[in-house]
Amino acid sequence: MINGYEVVVGLEVHAELSTATKIYCGCKNSFGLEVNTQVCPICLGMPGTLPKLNERVVDYAIKMGHALNCGINRICKQDRKNYFYPDLPKSYQISQADIPLCHDGYLDIILENGTKRIGIERIHIEEDAGKLLHSDRFDGSLVDFNRCGVPLIEIVSRPDLRSSEEARIYLETIRSILRYIDISDCKMQEGSIRCDVNVSVHKPGEPFGTRCEMKNINSFSAAVRGIDYEAKRQIALIESGGRVVQETRRWDDAKGESVSMRQKEDAQDYRYFPEPDLLTIVVSEDRVKELKDSLPELPNHKILRYIKDCGLSRKDAEVIVDVPEKAELFDGCLELGCKASRLAANWIIGDISRLMNEGRQISELGITPERLKKLVEYIQDGRISNASGKIVFDELVSSSGSQNSPDIDAIIEEKSLLQVSDQAALEELAARVLAENEKSVFDYKNGKTNALGYLVGQCMKASGGKANPGAVKEIVLKRLGEL
Amino acid sequence: MKLFEYKAFELSDMLRDGKISSAELTKSVLDRIDEVEPKIDAYLTLCGESAMESAKQVDKKRMRGEELSRLAGIPIGVKDNISTKGIRTTCASRMLEGYIPVFNATVVDKLIKSDAVITGKLNMDEFAMGSSTETSYFKPTRNPFDTDCVPGGSSGGSAAAVASGEAVLALGSDTGGSIRQPASMCGVVGLKPTYGAVSRYGLVAFASSLDQIGPFGRCVKDVALLYDCISGYDRMDATSKNTQRVPCFDSLTGSARGLKIGIPEEYFAEGVEDSVKNAVMDSVARLRSEGAEVRKISLPSTKYALSAYYIIACAEASSNLARFDGVKYGYRCESPKSLIDMYERTRSEGFGREVKRRIILGTFVLSSGYFDAYYKKAKLLQERIRAEFDSALSEVDVIVTPTSPFEAFKLGDRISDPLAMYSSDICTVTVNIAGLPAVSVPCGYSGSGLPYGMQIIGRRFDEATLLNAALSHESLMGGFASPKL
Amino acid sequence: MGNSLGSDIDIMHIAKLARLKIDEEELERYKSEMTDIIKMVEEMPDIAESLELDADNAMELRKDSLEECGISRDEILKNAPKVVAGCVVVPKTVD
Repeated sequence: MINGYEVVVGLEVHAELSTATKIYCGCKNSFGLEVNTQVCPICLGMPGTLPKLNERVVDYAIKMGHALNCGINRICKQDRKNYFYPDLPKSYQISQADIPLCHDGYLDIILENGTKRIGIERIHIEEDAGKLLHSDRFDGSLVDFNRCGVPLIEIVSRPDLRSSEEARIYLETIRSILRYIDISDCKMQEGSIRCDVNVSVHKPGEPFGTRCEMKNINSFSAAVRGIDYEAKRQIALIESGGRVVQETRRWDDAKGESVSMRQKEDAQDYRYFPEPDLLTIVVSEDRVKELKDSLPELPNHKILRYIKDCGLSRKDAEVIVDVPEKAELFDGCLELGCKASRLAANWIIGDISRLMNEGRQISELGITPERLKKLVEYIQDGRISNASGKIVFDELVSSSGSQNSPDIDAIIEEKSLLQVSDQAALEELAARVLAENEKSVFDYKNGKTNALGYLVGQCMKASGGKANPGAVKEIVLKRLGEL
Repeated sequence: MKLFEYKAFELSDMLRDGKISSAELTKSVLDRIDEVEPKIDAYLTLCGESAMESAKQVDKKRMRGEELSRLAGIPIGVKDNISTKGIRTTCASRMLEGYIPVFNATVVDKLIKSDAVITGKLNMDEFAMGSSTETSYFKPTRNPFDTDCVPGGSSGGSAAAVASGEAVLALGSDTGGSIRQPASMCGVVGLKPTYGAVSRYGLVAFASSLDQIGPFGRCVKDVALLYDCISGYDRMDATSKNTQRVPCFDSLTGSARGLKIGIPEEYFAEGVEDSVKNAVMDSVARLRSEGAEVRKISLPSTKYALSAYYIIACAEASSNLARFDGVKYGYRCESPKSLIDMYERTRSEGFGREVKRRIILGTFVLSSGYFDAYYKKAKLLQERIRAEFDSALSEVDVIVTPTSPFEAFKLGDRISDPLAMYSSDICTVTVNIAGLPAVSVPCGYSGSGLPYGMQIIGRRFDEATLLNAALSHESLMGGFASPKL
Repeated sequence: MGNSLGSDIDIMHIAKLARLKIDEEELERYKSEMTDIIKMVEEMPDIAESLELDADNAMELRKDSLEECGISRDEILKNAPKVVAGCVVVPKTVD
């Protein structure tokens, strides 16, 4: 709610699929190669060429459909969307109009105070266009067709989002799912995931307001800024007695404002009609089921499970789930019956994330679920201290990749890290330290309680750091009380 | 008799038996081109040198004793909307005046693989839109039987070249009659195959759901020979069908005994000249006397076919021709001031009137608010027409009709009246709408010596039965008569 | 059909959609030709059915395997009216 207005947001997410080849020809589907080198007569729309649909594009879209709880139109078709633009070689985009591959699903997004169900209207397949390049050095625009024919899915939400924050969480959840089911690279800076935003505002209890569509949103944070700007613009307009007109606006993230591109009256007439160069798409029931069964546990489900079963906070669960490798490690520990899952989570969020941020991968860190489980259980059991745990961890990481990387027990043994928790040994140690520090004992007895810390520290020092600090403190306190 | 006058199947045997060389044959055809092309104007691009070169190559292969196809060494012309690598492919449009493709159409690859000799690219109506070859940007082609008359269209160059001996065989394309109608007007045989029988890859699309490439020849056997070469599944064309195919040439018997022929009354109605009807019915009578069974049938939705055809064809064309925008290939207007200026001037200057007219009609029927009333309705009618044909063809083997309602007309007679021009397609468009195969065979001559054609329509992917019926008719009729040039 | 849908067809608007330029003098001719064609077309009967997809007309899909066309950039762009630095050039375009 902003100034008593409810903000209504719907999103259209375009994600490039990470297939080996383009959607209608055998050209490589890749990013960043030299201009106009990944093209052939088909994706350049040369006269007489014909499209041939890549089956993996259909598979990937159906997977996403399952992930978003959609119905699958096993029998569907493709349509032409006609418009002229230099980056569109055929002057039509092969897309889907009235019968999308997936329809009527939903996505549960996780908010601070629980989950919220966002409706998914449809997911369809289509081809990407090329890119226009501009240079101030000359008068004209250059066209690079490499991206023509890169497969896209468009995921259209229902207008169920009520704030820019919900939109951000929705977008991040979609991205996370695309990564988990491994159908898109989701590199925003490479344009492999893009979105158009529809925003309207209305007073609670009143019907929805007129919506505006915003294009040219190139990051999730830009989506948040764009939605906030647009909501405020519309509210200000209404408050000042104006009326929101249905239009398409262009978001300028640098300036932080949107400008009108075209109004409804001169909306494009795309003249959709069934693509006559392609026949009916028919996917067998078995294939649809097979694709459903191939889905991994989805990230939003994982987050909920971590919160419920492991007592993680939403934020911590998100950090682990955000990167499939982290979640895989964590799930590995859980599957092994790790009794210190909280602690395992902390290690993943802490040291492991730090190393990953430096560009390392878990697979090269020498940290397997077995090792992490052992490490955190040793710490939890008090067999080694947290500090020793760090030493063990660093040793595992630094020796990873070497021929015979040592196991945890060997490192503890070699570096004598085993924590002394043996009651008799600690009693003896404490007695000795107290005897050697009469002054501190005297001080403590006279009310200087911070002498306790000193005495515990001396015990730790005497043990060479191997004593269990908690146990030592207990014994020292007991002995001081007896004196 | 000169070599260019022989039929392809005869030449094939002569070449195989070493009686002639492909070089001699090709030379004969090229000489014929030199002789009559000024009167006919069938070619847009001649490939004399490369034709002689490939002829010599084939002869060498034959000398080495290599196993060669029946088409090896036979000079064949190709309609100019079929993509030929390295050879200008203009679609008879200013838009593609200097366009040189970087790839071959699948049918061209098949010709090359069969060692056929490609003589050049044949004139047509611009982007195959027309029924007289007069909408060609470059020049009209003349009818070899009367050079004041049109050869029909849109594959007028292909029909005229085969009729005049400027090619032994030719490829054309047929969207609403563009092979059959000129075949009829030029007294040759032309086959529009079943939709999906021949790959469209490399055929510059007019109306994707109706277009088919097909063969022209001076006799049924020649057409069967070329059809066998170009047909078959192609993974480059999603609309091409992977069905079992019977080689037509080898299955031809020429017998009409037991053949069930359907005669649809709607195709002998008003608008079809009596002399044409009579010529067709005389031919049917001859077939009956040879043991064919003839019965009347009805295809009542025929009267809507022309409308449905123009809607579907123009809608698809408006989209197919949108790629000609001055960006990637073909014509671009002089010094465009802006993108929109470039688009509008390029397209207005690059396309001829008939093409623009159809783009506008197609754009209109697809535009917001009109789609259901036009396009959707046309597609529903298409289904109805298709069902009527399927039902009729479950009772008869073939359906016989006139090909064109009238003989070849004079140049300029119909060009300014679109509806009069469109009416020449009334007997042929239904076949494309229904996706069926049909052949046009000569069936007589008018008082002024212009040929009439008879159309034989068959079941899907049953070109063999169709061509056999045609051969039977041809044997009874007496075959191709050369025009006096 | 009662009043003709095409009777007041806005040729200029349609031409704009199709990126065609039509002169005023051509306009009248287009109008009358289009009206004739539309009249013919509007004789089609109404059919109260919906278009169904034909599942028997299924297409074969392509395997996701690389097939390079083997045509160099220079070759594939040789038909382009204007090329600079391996790119096709069009008049300045900003959306």
